[in-house]
Amino acid sequence: MKEIVFAGFGGQGVLTSGLIISDIAVENGENATWMPSYGSAMRGGTANCTVKYGEGIIYNPSQEEPNLLLAMNQPSFDMFIGKVAKDGIVLVSEVVDTTACTRDDVKIVVVPCHKIADEANHSRGANIVMTGAIIKLLGDHTMEQGKAAMERMFNKKGKNKFSELNETVFEAGYNYI
Amino acid sequence: MAKKMMKGNVAIAEAAVRYGVRFYAGYPITPSSEIMEYLSWRLDEVGGAFVQAESELSGVNMVIGAASCGVRALTASSGPGISLKQEGVSTLCDEELSAVVINMVRYGNGLGTLYSSQTDYLRETRGGGQGDYRCIVLCPYSIQEAVDMLGLAYDLAEKYRVVTVFMAEGALGQMMEPVELPDFIETKKNYWGFDGKYSYKKIGIFDRDSMKEAVALREKYAAICENEQRWEDEGIEDADYVFVSYGLTGRSTLGAARELREEGYKVGHIRPITAWPFPHKAFAKINPNVKGIITVEANATGQLIEDVALATKKAMENNVPTYALPYVYGIPAIKDIKEDFVKIANGQVREAY
Repeated sequence: MKEIVFAGFGGQGVLTSGLIISDIAVENGENATWMPSYGSAMRGGTANCTVKYGEGIIYNPSQEEPNLLLAMNQPSFDMFIGKVAKDGIVLVSEVVDTTACTRDDVKIVVVPCHKIADEANHSRGANIVMTGAIIKLLGDHTMEQGKAAMERMFNKKGKNKFSELNETVFEAGYNYI
Repeated sequence: MAKKMMKGNVAIAEAAVRYGVRFYAGYPITPSSEIMEYLSWRLDEVGGAFVQAESELSGVNMVIGAASCGVRALTASSGPGISLKQEGVSTLCDEELSAVVINMVRYGNGLGTLYSSQTDYLRETRGGGQGDYRCIVLCPYSIQEAVDMLGLAYDLAEKYRVVTVFMAEGALGQMMEPVELPDFIETKKNYWGFDGKYSYKKIGIFDRDSMKEAVALREKYAAICENEQRWEDEGIEDADYVFVSYGLTGRSTLGAARELREEGYKVGHIRPITAWPFPHKAFAKINPNVKGIITVEANATGQLIEDVALATKKAMENNVPTYALPYVYGIPAIKDIKEDFVKIANGQVREAY
């Protein structure tokens, strides 16, 4: 079973990114859970969700020791870095400063998702860049499965007008790794 | 049908429609609000009625009205809102009307917090409002079980003419996991519902015979206790220690129990599915030489422990100690449950009873 924590500012799309990953797993016949931080979170505040997926029953759907942490901003990195499992992956955007990090048992991967998204004229697609990167980093699913899940997600939300741009930045994130 | 990722509150609301619920009234509160948000448009599509009432008290009284008409009626809330509804729940029970009340439990006293928890166990299993009644209490451990069990909630409420409380942790309403929804069922109007012809004799408050009613009430509750205990158990026949835990917390505890087994500890697990009637019968299967019974709970003081201590006293002969592990709010981590179990096994934790 894999555990991923998606964390960033509210409105950055970390909850959506988590939904896409969980949907890929379910379509693939695996089990999955998606657990948001809920309540007082708001736009501009911090938001996070925990996704678990794999074969068999998922006992505890809430956060324990993520195999991968996505930190889109500094507060998210600072809050969750201590919880990442040994030999886990920490995926951060270019705005996160990791120099003060004392953990040497995790692998830190920097993907300039904001720059990649801006260059593709899709500045709101930084979360999609990271979704592509996560799929490549974990190696459990293919790029095609990821893109199909993304299409389903945005069709359901009625936001499919960005589907070409989303595909572009998704591929860019996947290929950056 | 393939399973789809669904949010707990949304899946439960859609399941309610499919099980024939045609009336909802209530007042929004986190973490239950999506249930009524969904039903606000969905009930209209199936010819039902939805009211966002001006208060919880008003909402539950509208449910009394719908239930009196023999319709499957629902209200949902969280801890503080359910407190406000208790007068109505007591009235439903007094009039022997059927309804389902969903409590998406959040942590804390007073208005409390928005954290997921199990702080309302004692309130829900002891009736909750004034008077002398019990509600059947169901506590699902997954969204799929919640969806499957909502039909049972109505079937039991109608069979015994009681209120069924659907008690889930707030996290179950907010999370998503793969779900297969039930098929639509046809429901008939309950036979006791008003028919517009004054078919039933009117019984005024001073015409009632409370002594006679008490006998009938005791018989009804005894029948529920005998027939409706539901639980799952695993590995309790040879266990040194048995965990008892329900809901999402029970699901995490099951994971801990299985890992501990693999590591060589003889532990078992009982997961109550009905919190009332409490599954006393499960305890009859426990190893008579068990060293301790342990509750895992998401509250501050330990509530389930009281029923577990009573059930242990009834089923065991040698004053088996019972321990409470209250993790306050959230879903306890498997790692923490395992660490605390080892402390109990090493004699470092004092028993509760």
